[in-house]
Amino acid sequence: MILVLTHINTIFLSLSIFQPASSQADHIATLTNYFIVAAAFILLVVTGLLIYVILRFKAKPGDAEPRQVRRNKKVEAVMIGVPFLMVAGFFIYTINVMQEVHPPAGNQVPDVIVTGHQWWWEASYPGTGAVTANEIHLPVHKKVLLQFSSSDVIHDWWVPELGPKMDMMPGRKTHLWLTINEPGVYEGACSEFCGEQHAWMRIRVVAQRQDEYERWLQQKSQPAQEPQHPLALKGEAIFNLATCGNCHTIRGTAAQGQSGPDLTHFASRTEMLAGMMPTTEDNLRDWLTDPQQVKPGAHMPRFIFEQDSINALVAYISGLK
Amino acid sequence: MSTSTTLEKPNTGTWDGGNEPFKASYGKLMMWFFLLSDAFTFGSFLIVYGLSRHKNLPYTGTPEAFTFSQEWWPIPEKVFNAFPGFHGLDLPLAFVALMTMILILSSVTMVLAVEAGHRMDKNDVQKWLLWTILFGSTFLGCQALEWSHFISGTEEGMILSNGTHIFGANLTINQYGPPLFADLFFFITGFHGTHVFSGVILLIIMFINTVNGTYQKRGHYEMVEKVGLYWHFVDLVWVFVFTFFYLI
Amino acid sequence: MGKLHIPEPEEALPGVELEDNQGLLQWISSVDHKQIGIMYLWMALFFMLLGGLGALLMRVQLAVPRNDLLSPEIYNQVFTMHGTTMIFLVATPAILGFSVYLSPLMIGANDMAFPRLNAFSFWIALCGGFLLYFSFLAGGAPDAGWFNYAPLNQRPYSPSPGIDYYCIGLLLAGSGTVATAVNLIVTVLKLRVPSMSLRELPVFVWMVLINSFLILAAFPSLNAALAMLLLDRQLQAHFFDIAGGGSSLLWQHLFWLFGHPEVYILILPAFGILSEVFQVFSRKPIFGYAFIVGSGMAIALLAFGVWIHHMFATGLGITVNGFFSASSLLIGIPTGVKIFSWLGTMWGGSLRFTTAMLFATAFLVEFTIGGLSGVSFAIVPIDWQLTDTYYVVAHLHYVFVGGSLFGLLAGLFYWFPKMSGKIIPEKQGKWFFWLFVIGFNMTFLIQHALGVLGMPRRVYTYPDLPNYTWMNMLSTAGAFIMGFSVLYLGFIIYKSIKSGKKAPDDPWNAYTLEWLTTSPPQLQNFKEVPPVKSFRPLRDLKQDNPNWQLQDDPWKID
Repeated sequence: MILVLTHINTIFLSLSIFQPASSQADHIATLTNYFIVAAAFILLVVTGLLIYVILRFKAKPGDAEPRQVRRNKKVEAVMIGVPFLMVAGFFIYTINVMQEVHPPAGNQVPDVIVTGHQWWWEASYPGTGAVTANEIHLPVHKKVLLQFSSSDVIHDWWVPELGPKMDMMPGRKTHLWLTINEPGVYEGACSEFCGEQHAWMRIRVVAQRQDEYERWLQQKSQPAQEPQHPLALKGEAIFNLATCGNCHTIRGTAAQGQSGPDLTHFASRTEMLAGMMPTTEDNLRDWLTDPQQVKPGAHMPRFIFEQDSINALVAYISGLK
Repeated sequence: MSTSTTLEKPNTGTWDGGNEPFKASYGKLMMWFFLLSDAFTFGSFLIVYGLSRHKNLPYTGTPEAFTFSQEWWPIPEKVFNAFPGFHGLDLPLAFVALMTMILILSSVTMVLAVEAGHRMDKNDVQKWLLWTILFGSTFLGCQALEWSHFISGTEEGMILSNGTHIFGANLTINQYGPPLFADLFFFITGFHGTHVFSGVILLIIMFINTVNGTYQKRGHYEMVEKVGLYWHFVDLVWVFVFTFFYLI
Repeated sequence: MGKLHIPEPEEALPGVELEDNQGLLQWISSVDHKQIGIMYLWMALFFMLLGGLGALLMRVQLAVPRNDLLSPEIYNQVFTMHGTTMIFLVATPAILGFSVYLSPLMIGANDMAFPRLNAFSFWIALCGGFLLYFSFLAGGAPDAGWFNYAPLNQRPYSPSPGIDYYCIGLLLAGSGTVATAVNLIVTVLKLRVPSMSLRELPVFVWMVLINSFLILAAFPSLNAALAMLLLDRQLQAHFFDIAGGGSSLLWQHLFWLFGHPEVYILILPAFGILSEVFQVFSRKPIFGYAFIVGSGMAIALLAFGVWIHHMFATGLGITVNGFFSASSLLIGIPTGVKIFSWLGTMWGGSLRFTTAMLFATAFLVEFTIGGLSGVSFAIVPIDWQLTDTYYVVAHLHYVFVGGSLFGLLAGLFYWFPKMSGKIIPEKQGKWFFWLFVIGFNMTFLIQHALGVLGMPRRVYTYPDLPNYTWMNMLSTAGAFIMGFSVLYLGFIIYKSIKSGKKAPDDPWNAYTLEWLTTSPPQLQNFKEVPPVKSFRPLRDLKQDNPNWQLQDDPWKID
């Protein structure tokens, strides 16, 4: 029996809330399991009774009118008493798990500040210069504090294997605690409808061992690499000329815009456009040619570039490791 | 269905059928439940007012040193301190007190009209309805003056942080404080004013019907009573609006 | 002696001579509660076809990953209109249709207290519905979801006029609904046949009464929010605009203060319908009448204290969340009481599985599933995992379809002979039942799993993650079975009205007063009604008259 359940778990529920990878998700998964047992019990009682009633009391020809029972105090007491006890039990457990999973943040400085944008995630690491987008690196075995807000509409952080979701609201700050158990890559998505491209606003959390994480953070705090190749150098010039820097930041250059993703280390992210496609030169080329064709509704305007300008830009941007 | 059945004595308690559970006709009952629903609507607006106010900072300095700022919610006495015809005088809440007085008076005359209806005294009903219409319209006129003062603003106006000099208030700018204050003021007093306006129209219809003797022929003045209920409700709501906007 | 004359509303009823004239003009100008009730039901069916078409479009789009059949812009309009239509233009009118049609009949009255207001409420609701759909022609339908969160509903994020139409359309429909609620309350309180005390009110009428109070208290909050949103969008006010000092959470509070009671508004009359169906087809009185009515009141009261459970993920703090978790868990108890009362009604009865009873029986299972998945949202940490995912989509469809709609369909098959004077052949009804139940469960059961696997709701497409594809494909296939079965329902209704067998006055050997009059009832429902001794007045009448002849015994006990 247990074997079968484990089997089901691995085949069907990978990526799910039943594969907790953080202590917060663990607590919730345990609570959920208890709930499922209780719910299954109730469902079983109702269906069981129903089937019994159907089989036993189905009308037969010539039935007399049944006894007109109007009430039964004992049954009534049971049907209120039992659910009440179950509800009370779950309420106490709920409060416990809530305190465990989501204690107040107090004045603690967050490890990461995540800001939701239509339709991508900005992550900045206070105390370091590191700013990245969509792929968020976190250390394992450490209780990290994430602080959330939004620059436009309401978004919602959700990575099922890591536990609770939390809304990101303009003009408000919310927070989330995470203690990730194992290194790995965890997929998630924006979970509050946020407009046209809500579907392509996916998160990827990369959990790393503490030393690897620090190395990553150190590297991402650096300004962008100077381009070497002449084509890439040409790309940098076009980037500045075409006012890309009004929206995007590339640290170490004149580009200091705030409304688009930080591109300083763009090419070290495995996916682009919030999980829509892998970061490849071809995809980048399509995107620069006509953003609305690739991701309709995205706030990136269409620039009319010559083909070699696009090639130069691609060379420049894909060199930003 | 040609069957007969032995009739036991029908129940005649308050909640048994065919009765008047509230000792009121169904028309009156209808008005009561409509007012209940309307009260919930006003309730929602006032809750919004409370929440919005709570969200903004209160003014913490002394009343004497108060200036208009977008930083804090204004003190009502400083906003509503003008009286038409007395230009330049600082008369906090004097005008709105007069308005409230007028509306309460109109409730009194409404009671008298309903009472006259019970006596089937057509002339008295006409007289008191006319007074109520007069007071109601005066209230609306006063509200128009109050609004126009609020919209045109003071001579000093307010200078925003970006240097623009603004005067008065509309739905987007507000020299007295956060824009939301003006939004709520227009919306809630406007919604109440619409109620008063509809009430005046209803009263005029009542008046015409009374003059034509419709109710005299019908044998009762219940319509006047029903409109009276509405009128008192609108009056009561004003007390709340007044408390929220002007007193606290 | 033996019959009591019934009170009549003051306002003159239309002349009896109009009865033969059933032309279109007569329907449009009608103030007869029965015709208005039927028009509500047609309105619900019409918009259900539109809303269902939207649902099928969505399922086709989601059948395979990375589909680009619908652009995200269109998809968002389609899902918004699907939700808005089903809640406001299908479920609400259907509920009101049954309420308006049956309440006067069941209390022995000849019409509603305000027949003209009744007609006005219907037409204003219908106009609201047409206005909402007109937005498609006016430059784009609303696209911010049926609960239309701020600031996504503000002009900068939704520049098309869709949301303005949403505001006006729902304000109209909502005003109509409030007026009908007032009308129903007054009708039930004032126009009952003499001697029918509140303890003798049929359960359905009790639920209508409770429900009307719920409408009265819940809709103002929505109307207030819609009016403010319209001001925001049209006159640049700042109620929900953060930059101007407004609050986006405010919209959520106002909306759910309406929205959660609305969920119960859509289910309580269905509970009433089911209570009648269970009684008649079990040949027993409802088990625990006081409990059924009392739990209805408890649900109505608790409904106003649970709205934050839609907002657990907004970070409101443990105290607030804890309080609303407790109240939301509590609401499960009266609901459970009802389920067990119905089981108790069936227990020891003589069960006759007509199509209506089949729907009622299936309801017990489907609604228990929907209720239990609902309880999981009251448990805050589980809500943090599962809110705004496909698990919610599954849950709400089990409640709205498995709950409300199954109840309404039970009511449709139960009262169809009364309303139309025609019989739907049981065999066809049962075909429809099985198709619908299979299609429904196939569509939505799997969506629980999709939510658990991390698929958020309201996405126009999804990446090809493990298991996503076959699960979505299965759901789409189920949706088509459901769609087909609804078409089949339309067909059998049409055929029965056109050429069905004539229905007797009392085909089910029923208990309540509407079966005393002819099928369909003549314009004046009753000339005389018997005195009422219990909540089953017609049964009392039959018991007191041993010679009572059932005109026709339709039971085909297999």
